[in-house]
Amino acid sequence: MIQRAVEAIGIPTIGISIVREFTEKVKPPRTVFLKWPFGHPLGEPFNAAQHRTVLLKAFEALYRIETPGEIIDPGLRWRREQYK
Amino acid sequence: MTLSLFESTGRLGRLKNQFIAKMTTRFPGLAQGFIHAYQAVESNDIPWTPVSKPLDESRLVLITTAGVHHPEQPPFDMSDPEGDPSFRQIDAATIGDAYTITHDYYDHTSADKDLNVVLPFERLRELKREGILGDIAERHFSFMGHIDGPHIPTLTTDTARQVARQVKADGNDIALLTPG
Repeated sequence: MIQRAVEAIGIPTIGISIVREFTEKVKPPRTVFLKWPFGHPLGEPFNAAQHRTVLLKAFEALYRIETPGEIIDPGLRWRREQYK
Repeated sequence: MTLSLFESTGRLGRLKNQFIAKMTTRFPGLAQGFIHAYQAVESNDIPWTPVSKPLDESRLVLITTAGVHHPEQPPFDMSDPEGDPSFRQIDAATIGDAYTITHDYYDHTSADKDLNVVLPFERLRELKREGILGDIAERHFSFMGHIDGPHIPTLTTDTARQVARQVKADGNDIALLTPG
């Protein structure tokens, strides 16, 4: 809802979602979805490489999404990825 | 987020909500039914602003619903089971390790240890130093994501629009939104 208001005023937005069904209902303009536990949108504490990967995936989605409401799932598995 | 799973207030009620938040973090399936029950209030028209600048020329603002605030700011209202639609301004330069999270509806143990889990200021500064990101806003915005009932229209017609106007007035080019 907040994302929609910011986009509506003229600022392009990208949101991180960890609850896909909720995002599908609220319909923000652009979303990167992570099937991760609540409270960890960037990942685990002090895992800088993981946070960086999420940010770069979010920026990639910001520039790649051309259809309003699209959700990109980069397929990052919780605690089963190697981050560099 | 509308999760009627949480409906208690008062000291015992808050403990119960915090316990439920820990359980749904560990077992997300527990929250599915409540998310499923959410009735969307949003229209099908999705706002859209094309991205006009490359990332290395863009100034980014963060907006979170993770309930983060400076310790001296008033906490979000945990006594109202329908949540708190207000927001707090976050000063990226001063927040450092001194921050508070007031939010009983998700388990913020990880974000309590490292703010970057919900507000990745350190990672953004690294990307700026590397020339990948153009600039970072000075002020960012924080909400408490558990909003229900009459607070939903307050959020959509008042506080979210206030933040949108400030984000625009600050000269930001892109916004990244993070949940709790």
